[in-house]
Amino acid sequence: MSLAQRVLLTWVFTLVFLIMLVLKLDGKVQWNWFLIFLPVWVFDGILILMLAIKMAGRCKPGYDPRNGSPDLRLRSWYLTAMLLKVGFCLTLCAKLEKLADVKLTFVCIPLWTMLLGALVELGLNIFPERREA
Amino acid sequence: MLFSLRELVQWLGFATFEIFLHLLALLIFSMLVALRADMFTPMLSWWLVFVPLFAADGLSTYFTAIVSIRLYQENEKRLAVLRLLWVLTVLCLKLVCEVLLCQKLAEEEQARDLWFGLIVSPLFILLQLLMIRACRVN
Repeated sequence: MSLAQRVLLTWVFTLVFLIMLVLKLDGKVQWNWFLIFLPVWVFDGILILMLAIKMAGRCKPGYDPRNGSPDLRLRSWYLTAMLLKVGFCLTLCAKLEKLADVKLTFVCIPLWTMLLGALVELGLNIFPERREA
Repeated sequence: MLFSLRELVQWLGFATFEIFLHLLALLIFSMLVALRADMFTPMLSWWLVFVPLFAADGLSTYFTAIVSIRLYQENEKRLAVLRLLWVLTVLCLKLVCEVLLCQKLAEEEQARDLWFGLIVSPLFILLQLLMIRACRVN
């Protein structure tokens, strides 16, 4: 996919999610919170599927694992981050729908883990020389 | 994931360090929101909860000003002005959204007329600007 296609994909899902969120928060619609998060589920589903297909491509016969090991590590982290995000959104919806009586701190733990991981990854990109040491 | 870091930096127009700063602010902000929601401490006002986001915006503006001045001194005048204009526009829209949301949460009774459609409107404008920029970068 080209950059424009990926941007368009992200843009459409973000726009639809924001519109649905505003309608719900202003009380214009009485939909279920899981339905409001539908663009998020679809977008995350597409991303997880794309990642899974790329990772499965590495299991093909004849693939040299020595060349691909750092990339595979990165892709595994991306997959974990996506699953953490889905976990956060699911527990948040369950809390908002009053299906589960959990504290917001516990709901936010997957989000914090994901953000910490992203910060470490970005930090390693800002200081690349330390990564090599 | 969907975008590489290089593509993100090109698209958003922010340096890696600025993205790091905003993510860190988001982490601290979410922690304060959880603390306020679970403990319900009246000492922790909504304006205090939003401080990390405001601080990140301020630091990002400072960083952009420094980078733009350096670019201007190195005779990259067009690039310096364009970068400054873009980042300030994005930060202004983000700040307006944050202030309106904070006001809505802090003064529930007085801010009853402030509907969420109005609060999120700067984000809608930002989305359109990001789409236009994506076409340019592409």
